[in-house]
Amino acid sequence: MHLKLFVLSASSVVLWLAPLSALDKTLGIHKALQGVSLTAAIACAVTAGNIAREQAEQNEIEEIKTRAITADVVDEIATSAYISQQQRQQEAEQILNPREQLERLLALTYDESESSEPIAQKALAEHEQNDAQNSDAERAERIMQLKAKGWGKAKIILEIWGVSKGGSPKYKAAETEYEDLIQKAGGQ
Amino acid sequence: MRAVYLGNFFIAGCIAFSLLGWVASLHPIAFRAVFCLLAAIAIGWGLSWLLDFSLSKLLKISVADLQALLIGGLAMLVIGLGVFLCT
Repeated sequence: MHLKLFVLSASSVVLWLAPLSALDKTLGIHKALQGVSLTAAIACAVTAGNIAREQAEQNEIEEIKTRAITADVVDEIATSAYISQQQRQQEAEQILNPREQLERLLALTYDESESSEPIAQKALAEHEQNDAQNSDAERAERIMQLKAKGWGKAKIILEIWGVSKGGSPKYKAAETEYEDLIQKAGGQ
Repeated sequence: MRAVYLGNFFIAGCIAFSLLGWVASLHPIAFRAVFCLLAAIAIGWGLSWLLDFSLSKLLKISVADLQALLIGGLAMLVIGLGVFLCT
């Protein structure tokens, strides 16, 4: 196709310039040849132009196809990267927040069947009880540490429960809890 | 490829003006006819150059494209007739 285009373009130029420069304009036969040659040159140039236009349109279509394929690939890569990032984020959230994970799991279990509700409540209660036990143990340990340093009861209650000495119900509740923890720690 | 396509049509235009010159050289009446045709082309070219904005809206092409077409047409005329007269 390119060869045809080149031949047609070159022949149009030759058919245009050669008869005009080589032939005599005063002779009838030469003049007729010039006319035929110019007409043929126009035909060659127009044909070559049409071929070149078709080629240019095909090239544009190919470029559009290539651009579309590239855009699809880029979009696919971006989507997979986004999905993997979301998965990693979810995994990190699950690792960092086991309590929330448990609550979600329990909520899901509750949604699936109502018969699983007692099991869910039991699991949550167990989890909260474990938390409370851990908290009491930590408090008892902290109390023992402060007592070993020589701190008084009121100062320890102020440090751990944040309640100052007085006749307030909060202080009384904290004092009771303090006594319980001391007894438990003494018993252990 | 777009340049080849435009170049071929430009050459076709140049050859067409050379052919017009050749037709004008055949007979005095043909010369007058071609002269009138060239005069009409010149008037049309001048009007198109002056009314480029309204003409571009009518033809739905940009003003720059229209001006390029007009300049290309003028170049074809000059080259085509120049080649015919100088050879």
